Formats: sequence, structure tokens, C-alpha cells
Amino acid sequence: METKSGTLEITILSAEDLRIDNRPVKKNAFVVVSIDAFNSKTTKIDREGGSYPSWNDKLVMEMPVQTRFITLQVKYCKGSSSGGEKVVGVARIPVTDFVGGYSPETCLQHLSYRLRDPKGLKNGIINVCLRLKESLHDCSSQAAAAAGSIGLGIPIDGRRDFGVVTGIPICSGYPSNALFR
Amino acid sequence: MGNCCSDVGGGMTAVGGTAPSTSATNQNAAADWYFKSRGIQGLFSQIELSFSATSLRDRDVFSKSDPMVVVYIQERDGAFTEVFRTEVVLNSLNPTWITKYTITYQFEIVQILLFRVFDVDTQFHNVAVKMLKLEEQQYLGEASCALSEIVSKRNRSLTLDLVQREESVPSTHSQHRGKLTVHAEESFSSKTTAEMTLKCLNLESKDLFSKSDPFLVISKVVESGISIPVCKTEVLKNDLNPTWKPVFLNIEQIGSKDSPLVIECFDFNSNGKHELIGKVQKSLADLEKLHSAREGDNLFLPTPVGHDNKSKVSKSKFFVEKYSETVQYTFLDYLAGGFELNFMVAVDFTASNGNPRLPDSLHYIDPSGRLNAYQKAIYEVGEVLQFYDSDKRFPAWGFGARPIDGPVSHCFNLNGSSNFCEVEGIRGIMMAYTSALFNVSLAGPTLFGHVINRAAMLASQSLANDAKKYFVLLIITDGVVTDLQETKDALVKASDLPLSILIVGVGGADFKEMEILDADKGERLESSTGRVASRDIVQFVPFRDVQNGRTSVVQSLLAELPTQFLTYMRSRDIKPNS
Repeated sequence: METKSGTLEITILSAEDLRIDNRPVKKNAFVVVSIDAFNSKTTKIDREGGSYPSWNDKLVMEMPVQTRFITLQVKYCKGSSSGGEKVVGVARIPVTDFVGGYSPETCLQHLSYRLRDPKGLKNGIINVCLRLKESLHDCSSQAAAAAGSIGLGIPIDGRRDFGVVTGIPICSGYPSNALFR
Repeated sequence: MGNCCSDVGGGMTAVGGTAPSTSATNQNAAADWYFKSRGIQGLFSQIELSFSATSLRDRDVFSKSDPMVVVYIQERDGAFTEVFRTEVVLNSLNPTWITKYTITYQFEIVQILLFRVFDVDTQFHNVAVKMLKLEEQQYLGEASCALSEIVSKRNRSLTLDLVQREESVPSTHSQHRGKLTVHAEESFSSKTTAEMTLKCLNLESKDLFSKSDPFLVISKVVESGISIPVCKTEVLKNDLNPTWKPVFLNIEQIGSKDSPLVIECFDFNSNGKHELIGKVQKSLADLEKLHSAREGDNLFLPTPVGHDNKSKVSKSKFFVEKYSETVQYTFLDYLAGGFELNFMVAVDFTASNGNPRLPDSLHYIDPSGRLNAYQKAIYEVGEVLQFYDSDKRFPAWGFGARPIDGPVSHCFNLNGSSNFCEVEGIRGIMMAYTSALFNVSLAGPTLFGHVINRAAMLASQSLANDAKKYFVLLIITDGVVTDLQETKDALVKASDLPLSILIVGVGGADFKEMEILDADKGERLESSTGRVASRDIVQFVPFRDVQNGRTSVVQSLLAELPTQFLTYMRSRDIKPNS
């Protein structure tokens, strides 16, 4: 099967309320957008924004049709050089949120997601806007159908909605109610 | 001067000017204060109405009529009060009047205007228009309309037939009394915002042991010579070559691009007594020139020496790093560009409302004609919104009831049809509501998710067809939602669509939980999948909270609507004219 891909234009707008070690991030936050392990891009560093950084950085990436998630990692670097990066929070955008949803995928969509830190705790919100340059509609619904049927083989509830559920990692050593701040 | 910015923390931040273009609408700050002090809340624009007429009746014997228009506004009690008179145009049956009437257009109330045309008798031609007694003039005809009717037309002109006043004896003459055309224009220049980045070089150091902490205050000079501060920048610590963050100035707030502005540079002192380092006097046009020429100008220090107010030229220089003007379109611009609001209604038919046949039910249809809470909400909101909906066909749904044959439905068509959901006009909604009441059995639970998803589907289809439509869903409910998370999920999914959801809570329930849905009162909504709402699309108002106050449900519900509409359009850079 040929691997078709579309062009994704994603603009990382801003983030809100970022914390590290329970204190607000002071500066130097940036975002790494990855589609898979080999396909990722980084935004500029916001040196002043602190815990409410804004980038307004547009990144253009190739997105293969079978992509299920786009991962956003908000990181910050301590010094002025890029040594010593730490992950502040991660969010995963299910492709079904912007393909086959309410808005046509070529239409500019504004999306926001909850960030979770490496321990799984809530850590701010990230705001992006994105669009696909060409409609993936036929390819994507085929891919989704293929993926869905490989997964279970039974349509659940007869619904057309191939929504994905984002799992929250459970980390040992923390009482489970700490995850739901 | 300088005592207007005295507190340390707050005093160091930038104040005034206009908000940057991505946030809420432009407002004339002075007019805003004026109106707020009179209790007029909500969004508004200044509109100028101009008048012209054709085919007026000829009442004079030897010459043509000398017509004048008198404008009346309908007050809350239904009576009309006079508000304006145009000038008298001599000898014309097809006059165009020059004097324009300025009125504040308020989106959330229906402003009914009455226009009466009089022929001014010759003996009064030298009397000031204000002094004319209308009973002594000859009545030519009248017409009335709502302000929103004029404003929602593409060319902002409405032509009305002039008719006879009802009280007069019906005339045996022909009914042709001519036509009156009313044209609306938004007060100009309310939309242009200038964004500037200012900087200075070589400032004098005013502090003993450190450098100055400079900030700028920009003031406009009014006719009497007094300067009124318009905005100030943030304070930059210890900097003799400061570059401040961009300031935004609304051109109407200042007057015009050529209005003189005084820009003063102060050294911040925590005791509030800021020292003046220097100042310049420039208009926006001058600042633009400074920017394009990439030149600086020297700051002046006024040194009052005796009577000679000589200014000492300081060695500090003032530069305009960036200058740009953006046009911020207003709600009315979009209407003129062909955008429409589509009104949709969803009514709660859960059993908690009570048996509709009993007088204590929220759904009781009073034979005396008094409207119940549901009818009032539909009527008042619909009345305002219908002007902006060109086809007057409104989707109407009910939820939480069992239609005649079938299980409980959380989204059934109010008109009883299984294929289409639209009804015609507000009357259509009222009729469908009354007939549905007796054709369904109230059940439960209270769930909004289905109705929100249905509305979102309509909005999404319109988006796919590139239509210039913005959807408004009115949900009237008596109770708290049973599955709050389901509602949040539906709202988050719909938050990126051209859709606003107005929720009215009727009856005596405690609506505390519902207030979470309105992001003004809390945080952004989060769905169960980790997605957060892109914007706040909900406005929630409990009906009883507002019944005592001077504002109506409608005003509180609709006050945010133009802002939500504009936020949506601006964030996508959608301009009124395609």
C-alpha cells in the first residue's frame, strides 16, 4: 500500500500556567512537535514569557495518512544554551480531533489541550491552530476504518465516530487520587 | 502631573490605550464611561442616521412642501418620545436632509424608532427648528421600524412607506404619502488602531545611585488646552536607552490622526513623585513620519523661567521603532458584509417542570395570554435575533420527553416532524412549542449533549459550504444537567465552530453547577479526552436573578454575543468583505 501523506501546518500559539517542581516556569520554554520518532520540529524559544509563553510559530510537517496522534512536548532549558532541557508537559492530539470532525480539515482549526507532566499530573494548557493543506478525507477514513477493523473487528455502538481515548499513565509511588487534582 | 500613576505595583504597568487587536472590540472609552454611568451595559456602536424621502405629498398652494423629519424612540412603557429633528428643506417633494441623527446602537435590545415627516409652514421658516411647535405644522406621514432592521441590511438603507397616523380620520385620499429612506452609518474611524513601538536614547539619569526608570505617558490635548492622559507604557528599570512594549491607540479615542499628542517621559519613583525627563508634542501623523524617516527627535524640557516658558532641548532622543495601523472591523461591518446570525432553540421538557396542565407548572399555558417563563425567553431573545437571520426559519428542538411513539428523546423536532427541524418565525416556534407540550410526555433526565451536537452539526455543515453564518443556540431549562461531563465534552468539541450557546435557567432550582459551563465564572472547559475548549461559547443566565434588576434576561444573555462573534472572526482573520 502506498503511504500517502498530507502536509500539516501547525502553529504553536501559546501555553498557560506551566510549572516545574511546583513553581512557575521562569523562561526559555519551547515546544517540540512530533509525528513519529523521526519526524519532529521545534519552535523558537520564548525567553521572556515565563509560565505563560507565546510563540506563534508556524511549523510545516509531512503527516502520513496512518498517523493517529501528534505529540506536543513543552520543554524548557535552564541556561541560555540548549543544554539541560527538561520536559514540562506533554499533550497528544488525536488526529480524529481535526480530521473527520466538525470542521473541514483544510479549514484553520483552533485547538487546546491539557498538558501533563512526566508523572502524569496536570500542568497547564497548550493552544495551537492547525490545518491540512489538502484534504485527506478519502485516505483518512479508509485508514481509520482499516485501523479500526484491525483493532477490534466489531463496530461499537454502530457509531461512525472513531474517537480515541487518551490514557493517563498510572505511576507507582503516588496515591491514585493525586492524579485528579 | 505624574500623580495619576502612583501605586508601585500597578503603577508600573502599561495602562490605557486600546487592547491589542486579538482581544475584545474597540470601544470609545469616554463614551463607554458615559453610558455605563447611565446604566447602559453591553456592547454598542455609535450610528449616524441620515434621511431622504421621495414623492412627498404637496401641502402648499403656491410651492412645494417644506419637509422636516422628527425622530421618536419607543420607551420601555411603549410611549414614544421625541429625540431629534432634521433641518427644514425648502420647496422639495424629494428631499435629502443633511443633519444626521447619532444614536447608540445596542445589540441586545430592540430599539423601535418612529419617523414623522412634517411640512413646515412658511411663517415659521425663520424660526429655529428646535422651537417649532409640531401641532402648528402640517403632518405629511410617518413610518416606523427597528434600528436593527436598518443596520442588518447590506447597504444599511431601509426604505419605508409613509402612512397616516392611526388616530386620524381615515382619509378618502389615496394612500400614497411617499417613501422615507433611512440610511445608517457607523461613526467613522472607530475601527482604526495604531500600534507603535517607542524608544528613547541617551536619557538623563535622574536617580542618584542608579539610572532612571523611564516610562512614557501619552496624552491628548483638548481644545481648551488641557491635556488628558490616554495611556502610559510600563516602567523599564534602570535603563537610559529604553524600548517599551508596543502601545495601541484607538484613533477615535484621540480624535484624529492629526490631533496633537503630548508624549512625556518620566522617571519612576516609588513615592509617586515621578520626575519629568523630557517631552515631545506630536500627532499620530507626525509619529508615522518619524518612523518612516527612521529619524529621532529631541526631547524638550520645559523650563519655566519667569514669563518665558522656554524649552530646553535635551540631548535625549525619541524614536518610533515601529508604526502600523490595523483596521478592527466591528460587528456591524460583518453584518454589512453579508454575515448572518442563525437562531436555534431547544426547550426542556423534563418532568421536573411539572404537569403542563396545572397552573404551577413552568410549562403552563395561561389562557389569559400571560407568557410563561419558556415563552418569555423564546420571545425576547428571538425578537432581537430574528432581524439578523435572513430566512427567518429557525431549527427548534425539545429534549427530555417521550414523543407519542417512542423512547425518551434528548433531541426531537419541536414541530413534530421526523425529517426537518425548522419552523417559520418566532410565531412558528411558539406554536410548535404549545403543540409539542400536549403531544409528548415529560420525562428526563436533563441532558444537553444531544442538542449541542445537533447544533454543532448544523454549524459545521454551514462551515463546509463556506457560508457566512454564525449560529446561536438558545437552551431553556429548569434544572441542572444530569451528566455534566457529557455536556462539557459536547461543548469542547463544538468550541471551535461559529456557534454560541445561550442557556437560560428558569424556575427555582439551584444553578450553581451550571455556572461552571460558562467560562466567565470559572475555568476553561475540559473534555474527558484531555482536550480543552478553544473559546468560551456559553453564556448562562438564571432567569430569576435578573427579574428584579433593570437589565432583562435578554441583555445579559446577548451582551456577550457580539464579542464571541468577533473573537471567532478575528482569530481566523475573516474579514467582512470577501
